[in-house]
Amino acid sequence: MAPAISLASQAPHERRSAPAGIDIAGIAKSFALNGSRIEALRDIQLTIPGGAFVSLVGPSGCGKSTLLRLIAGLEAPDRGEIEVGGRAVRAPGLDRGMVFQDHRLFPWLTVERNILLGLRQLPGTEFQKRAIVRDLIALVGLAGFEHAKPHQLSGGMSQRAAIARALAPRPQVLLLDEPFGALDQLTRGRLQGEILRIWKHERITMLMVTHDVEEAVFLSDQIVVVDQRPGRIQARIDVDLEKPRRRSDPAFVALKERVFELLSAAEPQQGALTHSHIVVKENK
Amino acid sequence: MSARSSISAVTQGWRGLIVPAALLAAWALAGAAKAGNPVLLVPIDTVARAGFDAIKSGELPGAIAATMTRAAVGWSIGALFGFAIGLVTGLSDSSRRLASPTLHGARQIALFAWIPLISAWLGNGEAMKLALIALSAFFPVFLSVEAGCRQVPLAYREVGRLFGFTRTGEISCIILPAAAPTIIAGLELAFTVAWIGTIGAEYLIGSGYMYAFADGIGAFLAGARENARMDLVVVGILSLALTGFARDRAVVLTSKRILAWRPQSH
Repeated sequence: MAPAISLASQAPHERRSAPAGIDIAGIAKSFALNGSRIEALRDIQLTIPGGAFVSLVGPSGCGKSTLLRLIAGLEAPDRGEIEVGGRAVRAPGLDRGMVFQDHRLFPWLTVERNILLGLRQLPGTEFQKRAIVRDLIALVGLAGFEHAKPHQLSGGMSQRAAIARALAPRPQVLLLDEPFGALDQLTRGRLQGEILRIWKHERITMLMVTHDVEEAVFLSDQIVVVDQRPGRIQARIDVDLEKPRRRSDPAFVALKERVFELLSAAEPQQGALTHSHIVVKENK
Repeated sequence: MSARSSISAVTQGWRGLIVPAALLAAWALAGAAKAGNPVLLVPIDTVARAGFDAIKSGELPGAIAATMTRAAVGWSIGALFGFAIGLVTGLSDSSRRLASPTLHGARQIALFAWIPLISAWLGNGEAMKLALIALSAFFPVFLSVEAGCRQVPLAYREVGRLFGFTRTGEISCIILPAAAPTIIAGLELAFTVAWIGTIGAEYLIGSGYMYAFADGIGAFLAGARENARMDLVVVGILSLALTGFARDRAVVLTSKRILAWRPQSH
């Protein structure tokens, strides 16, 4: 596969153009499970503007992660089309990075070598690549741990390394699949602040799947509530609160309540909701 | 390593010598008490003298060197084929469906049952012995490489897909390193099996000339038996135990070094 982006255009802190947005049109996906078909996603229409931070929230098993994997190109939809930056998604590409709940670092490599792997398919000398990796390690706050092996890192540090690796090819879009779901609350809060800082620094589009409503409200420009079985978009909530947000802010708390209400409405009532999109604007 | 744990490692090493020392003492006592038939239960001093002579004449060191070389060469050949074929069947479902049932079936044939067939093809010389040793080493390596490659978590392979790895890149950067612990365990097992295969081949196939004591420990044992030299039989068995133990330690230490990235389990 030809690399989509070359290192030549990767002068640090220098973005070529506006970050790519994501257009999802009429996506449907089902899986075979014990001989029967499970409809994971039905008729998903979603536009994510370039440079936005968007969260997908919904009950577990509602297909949010599937949607992320479809955008990454790890799976193919049954119907519909996904475009990233105007280009149809057919396979994984370096314009899209992904961070999983399990950090997926290779245990036999150091932090530095793990991140270097993200640059393997790109042109450039070893020296240039090492410089990029050094910047990334500093960006995610892992300086001093370049030569640590994954089993020597805490869960939070592993996730920092995984974020650095996903950012290595300078993707236009970063897909985050419950990246902080397995972390303790203190570490999670800290990494939420960090990802916000990285998002501002990199100025790329971030799409995150999460169970944590507070996390979604804290980070997102837009929250997409996904209904379950089949997964459908139940509501889109634009969050206009200024970042960084204070979790005790009454507007923050009110918004959290609203998302919780929408989520409880999304619990089992099969087919009761036709896909009328509720769009709630939260103006300050 | 702390001072205390290194001390306990030493004392534990010494503790391992208690049983052999007790056995040697019992053996010496039995000889001194003239218990048993001295032809069948050879006194310890007779064995020691025979061993000393065998070392001095160069027979025993020659035999040990011959056995070790033969085991290493046979193992290398078998491991090479096992690795290559295991890689093909481990990476490609269609070749696995084609070849694996046959290979898994062939594995069930006891090693020494191949002797009539292989000796008919290759004669009774060195080629035959090496073929038998290689065959013994082949199966553990083949099985471990096939299983190791197939068991690589999909999660790791997806990372390679996201970064646009080619198939070669996926194999060299993800599949082989992830499969390394399994593969190395197979190589270790193959070495143990090849060692047994070597002694068996030397003992059963002989050396083409009579009483060739230097042609491997297996031949040394066979020659000692032919000549009813129980002292040399015991010398042969003891050198097998010692070289086998040393070989095993060397293999374990080497693989520990290679797999140093894994968290220590104890």
